[in-house]
Amino acid sequence: MAGADLVKDLKREVGTSAVLVDPASLTVYARDASHQAYGRPLCVVLPETPEALRRVVAACARHRRPFVVRGGGTGLSGGALPADGAVVIATSRLQRLDPVDPDRRRVRVEPGVLNEAVSRHAASCGLYFAPDPSSQAAATIGGNVAENAGGPHCLKVGVTAQHVRRLEWIDPQGRLWSTGRGGALDRGIGLRGLLCGSEGTLGVVASAELDLLPLAEATVTLLAEFPRLSDATRAVVDLMTSGVLPEACEIVDRVMLEAVEAAFRFGFATDVDAVMICEVAGRAPAAAEDAARAERLLQAAGARRVRAARDADERARLWQCRKRAFGAVGRLAPAYVAIDVVVPLGELTGLVEDIAAIKAEHRVEIATVFHAGDGNLHPGVHYDDRDADLIARAQSAADAIVLGALARGGSCTGEHGVGLEKRHLVHRQLDRTSLRLMQGIKDLFDPDDLCNPGKALPRRELAAAAAITAQVPGEVSFRWDSLTVTAPARTPLAELQAEAATRGLWIPLGAASRSRAVGPGLGGALTVGDVIEAGTSGPSLLGHLWPADAVLELWAGTGDGEILRAGAPVLKNVAGYDLVRLIVGSGGILARPLAATLQLKPAPECVELWTWSDVPGAFTAEERRDFVRVLRSHPQPAVVVRERAASGPSLWVAAAGRDREWDLGRLGADLAAWSEDHGLAQPVAVRRTGAALASPALLADLPAWAVASADWTLLTPRDRQPDWPRPRRLIWQSRPVMLWTPEIVAEEPVGWFADGIFRDGRLQLPPQPAAGVPLPLLAGLKRLFDPQGRLPCPDWLKRHLEAAAA
Amino acid sequence: MTGPRDNVELDGLLRACVGCGLCLPHCATYLVTGNETLSPRGRLLLFGEVLHGRLPAAAPDVTRPFDLCLGCFACTAACPSGADAVLIRQLKDLGAATRARRCDPLALLDRGAALRALRRVGHVAASVLGQTLGMHWRRRLDGQPLVARVARLLGTVPAAPPTDRALERLIEQLIAKSGLPAASPLPAASGASARAGARVGWFRGCADAALLPSTAGRLRRLLVELGCEIVDPNGQDCCGAIATHAGRAGRVRSLRRRNLAAFAPELASCDHVVVAAAGCGLELRDYPAELSTRVVDAVVLLERLAPAGLGAVPLKVAVHDPCHARHGQGIVAEPRRLLGRIPGLQLVEPAEAEVCCGSAGVYGVRHAALSREIGLRKARVLVATGCDLVVTTNPGCLGQIADSLAIIAPTVPVLPLTDLLWYAWRTGSRAPRSRNTLTDT
Repeated sequence: MAGADLVKDLKREVGTSAVLVDPASLTVYARDASHQAYGRPLCVVLPETPEALRRVVAACARHRRPFVVRGGGTGLSGGALPADGAVVIATSRLQRLDPVDPDRRRVRVEPGVLNEAVSRHAASCGLYFAPDPSSQAAATIGGNVAENAGGPHCLKVGVTAQHVRRLEWIDPQGRLWSTGRGGALDRGIGLRGLLCGSEGTLGVVASAELDLLPLAEATVTLLAEFPRLSDATRAVVDLMTSGVLPEACEIVDRVMLEAVEAAFRFGFATDVDAVMICEVAGRAPAAAEDAARAERLLQAAGARRVRAARDADERARLWQCRKRAFGAVGRLAPAYVAIDVVVPLGELTGLVEDIAAIKAEHRVEIATVFHAGDGNLHPGVHYDDRDADLIARAQSAADAIVLGALARGGSCTGEHGVGLEKRHLVHRQLDRTSLRLMQGIKDLFDPDDLCNPGKALPRRELAAAAAITAQVPGEVSFRWDSLTVTAPARTPLAELQAEAATRGLWIPLGAASRSRAVGPGLGGALTVGDVIEAGTSGPSLLGHLWPADAVLELWAGTGDGEILRAGAPVLKNVAGYDLVRLIVGSGGILARPLAATLQLKPAPECVELWTWSDVPGAFTAEERRDFVRVLRSHPQPAVVVRERAASGPSLWVAAAGRDREWDLGRLGADLAAWSEDHGLAQPVAVRRTGAALASPALLADLPAWAVASADWTLLTPRDRQPDWPRPRRLIWQSRPVMLWTPEIVAEEPVGWFADGIFRDGRLQLPPQPAAGVPLPLLAGLKRLFDPQGRLPCPDWLKRHLEAAAA
Repeated sequence: MTGPRDNVELDGLLRACVGCGLCLPHCATYLVTGNETLSPRGRLLLFGEVLHGRLPAAAPDVTRPFDLCLGCFACTAACPSGADAVLIRQLKDLGAATRARRCDPLALLDRGAALRALRRVGHVAASVLGQTLGMHWRRRLDGQPLVARVARLLGTVPAAPPTDRALERLIEQLIAKSGLPAASPLPAASGASARAGARVGWFRGCADAALLPSTAGRLRRLLVELGCEIVDPNGQDCCGAIATHAGRAGRVRSLRRRNLAAFAPELASCDHVVVAAAGCGLELRDYPAELSTRVVDAVVLLERLAPAGLGAVPLKVAVHDPCHARHGQGIVAEPRRLLGRIPGLQLVEPAEAEVCCGSAGVYGVRHAALSREIGLRKARVLVATGCDLVVTTNPGCLGQIADSLAIIAPTVPVLPLTDLLWYAWRTGSRAPRSRNTLTDT
């Protein structure tokens, strides 16, 4: 039998009982949640440790046998289906869940850990893992990373790629690598972003370090009944542009409502066209006010009735109903095509009209659930697999919906992935250069095409025939109804921020300052292109986003002058590889940014800066611990800066929030109490409300550069490092500015900071990447994007390229 | 596997499964093996393949997943699409049919005499295994196939304290050790008073009667003191649950006939037929309506009787819901509300509360190794709650959990829930003052 040697090898590697070859098992593992058929596997392997996982991959590579990694088998695009004769590697036994690190709000998990288990695990520390795909009860972290999973609650805080800090991963040759050190400012070539959402075609996750978020103090979940669906979709745009930023904003249409009600008997109204679930959270007064605002807004938009979930129990049941909606479709039809299109918010109503027309034209039943706030729709086109005519109509209806979304500037997939299902459509979305580069990346990482072959990217002949060429936009254009702005790379960020501020919005990168004198890092001196190359906006990162998260769409020129358009002007997008995350923050090594579409969010209403002068040069452990505790007990991100100037050391804290009384007032009181407890003078507080972000004065006193983190990781030195900060953690010896960061590995030499350094408004590339990063692959990426070496190249990469050439 | 006549109907049922996979993390056999072939979705898929003639029905690799199904119904509770109880029951029957084809002496376990004998041997063996060999050897030997099988057989014999005094001592020791703040009893006036005069048929249940006679006695006395009149018809036999699980349809029919005959004269005058074991309760729900509509789980009845003035039990207590109560009969809130009436008692919820403990009738004996793994997993999540005590309401679960806790955390005991309630009643303000009324009879 072909493959017998490999099976023998695998049994030797992981034990006989962990290799399944019986026909029943092969039948079961040939299917997943996607209703698709692909191939019949050679065998199924159940490794128990990451090392065993690596050995299995290496054995497959040795025998040149294709393989696919499978988590919970809950994917809807066929990502986990095996090619004929492939080895299925199931991660179900890789269940290790490390203790939560509450200081850094991190946890390391193995790929087989269930999504829901992470949040359960972190709950005792008051934390949770944000991505919550509807399949979260059965979906694994490995699968979430592979598909860059989303979920209802990703609206405010972003999808999986935004919450994965570091990956240990195995390349298709069976070598174990990491994606970097996982520091707060981990930048360079965006390997981590590239792997997230690569659908298991570039490598295998061996373990993932995840960011956790603090659980909200109060949550209000509104349930709004809309007699007309179009009113509901318009209400979403009203809501999202009103300054309220909900945690989740979902719509369930009438057909789906009936199925869900039949299955779970929650008590949904079934005589309306749509029900919206809108959840706001935060400090109790803020959540209550947001809920009241949202309720007024929804009612004005045409809701018949709006009510709040009575208690946590009802809220949990409501989300159960929403998340199990697709399962409930089984009551309506034996099978469905689950579509996953995304459009700019402003196009939502138009797409819903398109879908109604398509439904009539193709004579099919369609039930839709919406991650409405993201513009992400899941229409399910029902069919019966015994009815060939219906199958054909359902398939063509599904394709028509996807093409409709693409025509509206959307994406063919927001969170399910391309898989097998949308391979014939990707080339209608992506431009020729992007497609060529994506195929080049696949060939570079997996030259023998063994790692989940036949997924994610279009067939080569389709890619070659792709007709789209990228057109770089020459003007700034705001799309207020879609919460995006498109701008050429040369546009000053401050200009965009000032314009956004007139509508109470901002690009959540740095504070908007018109003054170039403020210096780099505050947004003032940066252009859109700077932000993209640097991958950080500097010290005043008061929002939740890194540029890689805020950049939705990117036009860039490769070294040989070709122009690519990565991403799409939508809030979620997993079509093809994530070239945006690969390029943003890479310092122009791979491609020159030409233009970008950035995300707009409701701006913080208030910014406050506290300044202490004459603070001690080094805090005691107790002072430090209390200080960190104060900052951590508040949800707003803050910037903390210490400076050792000739006039004496000083300390700054800057924070932004919704309202002085609720957010900043409490933080200020706590900081004052901390000062008093430790015998320090009270801080001088400066605050700005209203058009705070357009005002240059507030942050003008900050030192010329500094680095901060939205996730506190810079603020939590580990206990084994007694002084805070220690002189050897000075990054700039030339200036008396101190940066404290636990992410600088203590063993490394003074003045060396591998995560990237900002100087004079430019990113200084790291002297070399962190240990464990695959230098040969990075060099390969450089060659792919810049074959003639016309773009900047750091020394370490040059050395590696020269060595490889020799 | 099935006749062609049923195929259309079965095919229709199977189509209700959309393959979403939400059942997987609820299935004990999948959780401990990580093998999807041993998951509900995998079994349904195989079932479909067999139905359409794409897999041979008799092949061992096809029948094994069905044989290994615990029949716990956790998947039906998790299923959003209504690939529901009818279908899973079909699968369970399929598993039972597979088992029935073999000559199986274990199926004879539904006889009271056999169970009583087992209990006696079990006590001796448990003390030998537990004390003479010591825990270390117990753990090592437990992994050996032959020893494991014997240990499972004897280990699943429940060992609740045989006397009231022993039970009292056990709980008092736990309270002394636990360090939770002592709570004063609630005022006797709180809570509804017992509904006097309810006439309750008593279903003995062979396992309860033979293996937990003192627990059954305490429950009876408690019900009487709460105002019930107990009717205990002679001529009762096993409910048939064990025979059902073993696929012995003929035996099931004859047991039903016998029980119906025994209860026939009393049924009309009974408000309820009370059952202490969840497994029997579910089986009795399949009886003809005159009996099945009267069946009530002991915990549900006690909760309705709302015992007031209970004594304080300052312990952290984890409840293990038997699958046949939780998934089979939807009994989840009642035991918690009932325990909530006990002052000072702190209820803790384990993870994977909906997952089977691996007892599942004679499963523990037949599939000793897998059952052991499932039991140990259950013990781990129970212990992770930091509880002082575990309570449950089914003799099978009681034995399985006792056995697993003995390996994972020997200091954490497991008791029938009604025993704990009896203790709280006994030490409370409403219990008859005379000690004699509650001592062993």
